[in-house]
Amino acid sequence: MTPAVEVRNLTHYYMKGTENQVAAIKNINLHVEKGETLGIIGHTGSGKSTLIAHFNGLLKPDEGEILVDGQNIFESKETLRQSRFKVGLCFQYPEYQLFEETVYKDIAFGPKNMKLSQEEIDRRVLTAAGMAGVRKENLEKSPFDLSGGEKRRAAIAGVMSMEPGVLVLDEPAAGLDPAGRRELISMIKNYRRATGCTVIIVSHSMEDIAGVADRVCVLNNAEIAMLGTPTEVYTRDEELRSMGLNVPEITRIFINLKKRGLNVPENIFTVDDAVACLRKMQQRGNA
Amino acid sequence: MISDISIGQYYTGNSFLHKMDARMKFILVFALLVFVFLCKSFFSLALMVVFTVFAVILSGVPFKMVLKSIKPLAIIILFTAVLNIFYTTGGATYFEWHSLKITEKGINTAVFMAVRILVLVVISSLLTYTTTPTMLTDAIERLLSPLSVFHVKVHTLAMMMTLALRFIPTLVEEIERIMNAQKARGAELETGGLITRSKALVPVFVPLMVSSFRRAYELAFAMTCRCYTGGEGRTRMKQMKLRPRDFIAAGFVLILLAGVIVLNHFFEAVI
Amino acid sequence: MSEKLIEFKNVTYYYDTDEDEENRPQPSPALKDISVAFSKGEFVAVLGHNGSGKSTLAKMCNAILVPSSGEVTVEGMTTSDEESGDLIRRKVGMVFQNPDNQIVATIVEDDVAFGPENLGIEPSEIRRRVDESLKAVNMYDFRLKQPHNLSGGQKQRVAIAGVLAMRTDVIVLDEPTAMLDPVGRADVLATVRRLNRDYGITVIMVTHFMEEAVRADRVIVMNKGSIALDGTPETVFSNTAAIKSCGLDVPQSTELCSRIGIKKTVLTVEDAVEEIMNIYGGEAQ
Repeated sequence: MTPAVEVRNLTHYYMKGTENQVAAIKNINLHVEKGETLGIIGHTGSGKSTLIAHFNGLLKPDEGEILVDGQNIFESKETLRQSRFKVGLCFQYPEYQLFEETVYKDIAFGPKNMKLSQEEIDRRVLTAAGMAGVRKENLEKSPFDLSGGEKRRAAIAGVMSMEPGVLVLDEPAAGLDPAGRRELISMIKNYRRATGCTVIIVSHSMEDIAGVADRVCVLNNAEIAMLGTPTEVYTRDEELRSMGLNVPEITRIFINLKKRGLNVPENIFTVDDAVACLRKMQQRGNA
Repeated sequence: MISDISIGQYYTGNSFLHKMDARMKFILVFALLVFVFLCKSFFSLALMVVFTVFAVILSGVPFKMVLKSIKPLAIIILFTAVLNIFYTTGGATYFEWHSLKITEKGINTAVFMAVRILVLVVISSLLTYTTTPTMLTDAIERLLSPLSVFHVKVHTLAMMMTLALRFIPTLVEEIERIMNAQKARGAELETGGLITRSKALVPVFVPLMVSSFRRAYELAFAMTCRCYTGGEGRTRMKQMKLRPRDFIAAGFVLILLAGVIVLNHFFEAVI
Repeated sequence: MSEKLIEFKNVTYYYDTDEDEENRPQPSPALKDISVAFSKGEFVAVLGHNGSGKSTLAKMCNAILVPSSGEVTVEGMTTSDEESGDLIRRKVGMVFQNPDNQIVATIVEDDVAFGPENLGIEPSEIRRRVDESLKAVNMYDFRLKQPHNLSGGQKQRVAIAGVLAMRTDVIVLDEPTAMLDPVGRADVLATVRRLNRDYGITVIMVTHFMEEAVRADRVIVMNKGSIALDGTPETVFSNTAAIKSCGLDVPQSTELCSRIGIKKTVLTVEDAVEEIMNIYGGEAQ
């Protein structure tokens, strides 16, 4: 099957042509399969944002190519334009991009740019609003009258309404409180289940990514440092910490227990898993 | 992805010019600009050119960078020169076609004007190359402070300049971020005629305004928290002090003035 | 530790404008009849979900907001008294969430000098304080840099130095780490903790990260404009159910240990590992 996004030998420089030229990302090779959820992790300045801005052609590679659905997006103006709709990019703090008079109109901005029929736009706005958890009574309100969390959802709906095959979310939960984070992550899970679309989540919070991602890609100093299942990646605790990343607290407990000689798995990412695992041990112990 | 925009065009250095008091630099640059207009003959202008080249060398700013500051003005210089060639007539005629005439005087004036503008540009850019924006606003505030007698809010003006300088890079980044976000939703920001384009900017302009107001509001909060109540009773960490080098520079400029006047007197005026 | 520095007496607050977007007009008050006191030298973490009133509480500490009813006093001065606003802000400094919107100057050291300059302090003394403060937050080497070239965590440390240079007794931080990455967060936290320990500065830190609260002397949990819990981290986090009902989480270590029946309230990874080893350690080879 053709991958949803394929990145080949991608390099991008900052301040190209000046003496201060630095590679923001260097020789990146990445396949994102259709329907998978990929987590991209890295500290600030590791190149995460630069990488995803290539997926829909906002940035042009200095070297290498980007293929979406097997198509080089820079082949023509039309392929570049199509890539904007095939890969929906939702930036960090997306609520700051809201501008329309009503939430409805703002969510419709993308579909309108796609020059769809009015019925199709209506359908997409309502579907996206439902999926992102924007309440019906808020649709006719001004986006600036919503609360912080509601704005975030409206903005995400504004990207979902383009019905992109690949949805890229940059730090979707940044700045939210714990309950808000949890709801947002479960919203993303539901979206994926309902649409079967490819989802890419960029974050520096390993905890947010732990429960959702099928695979995790760790960027460090402009390069891919690790790529694998959450278990494969998260067990490399010390390396991750040297890159300025935090393994979820619960995983750290289990890694330490293992080090102390306890026979526990290291791939524990949630408290529920942890409790289940320890209970099982207890039963074995009692038996 | 503009992560490193330098504000103004300060060139880091430690030269004589860098170390001068910004107020003195301001005054002297202003004086020099007047001198350039005082020059009437090629010889007095040549003296100004020599002085300017000397100042550039003294500043340690590479010639390449100085040329860069001239580049945007090249068209204006060229335009002035061409205009002068055709508008001034006198002396020997080199070329004539219908009413267009190129004469000796025309060429002389053209060259004179071009050099004059060049000197103006280089001298004023030396000021911004060797003085940080903060020092510049500070100097303006202090030089203009006598105006507060006439109820001009000099401190407020200077504070506004400082804040503008501080937030330009932040806002440039913000504009870029918003543009990218809207482009990602299929907005066409760079195609179409003037009206289409300005309409297309609404999705960028509205969020920018909203966020700028938020920033201004938060900043005002933060400034209040740091006991800012306006210019009154404020002290400054960085004191400005005139040192011998400032007077030496002033002396040089005075000598230059004398030179210009003398040369003007003894040689034929071009304009 | 017992000297009361800041005291809230039956404070209620209504927002009547919608200028501040986080605090839009609500039919219910942002703070409801709050009475609480902060003592000298304390490190207090104020937790709460978005809109719980924790930011409002913070802004009341230095007379940026004044109560609709009730009274806030700082070393005996009433914040509602307009005369004392500036005097109070000399005692209580504040650091905000967005690092970009609180830096005033185009050069790091000039920004740190901004507060002392406003206080009318002697230039040589300002210089001394600026250097000291920048060293205290480990930003001395960056003193001549332009703020927009710094990372978020570095900018926050500059903002902290700016408060430090004013020599305030209290520093209130309103979600200082919300916009930072893990490294930036750790740096800012370590800095704040050091200021509290080494300089005896009273710290009131608003946050919604539980991990940041576990090392505080005292944790206050806000919910819907009221104080839901107030006590040491151990007592507060032992009440998992109450915390969850406030829309917050307890640290994962705490939750795990309480769910597997460990009686003691565990706050850190290290303690959790110890406790679990105590129970299951017998199986280890």
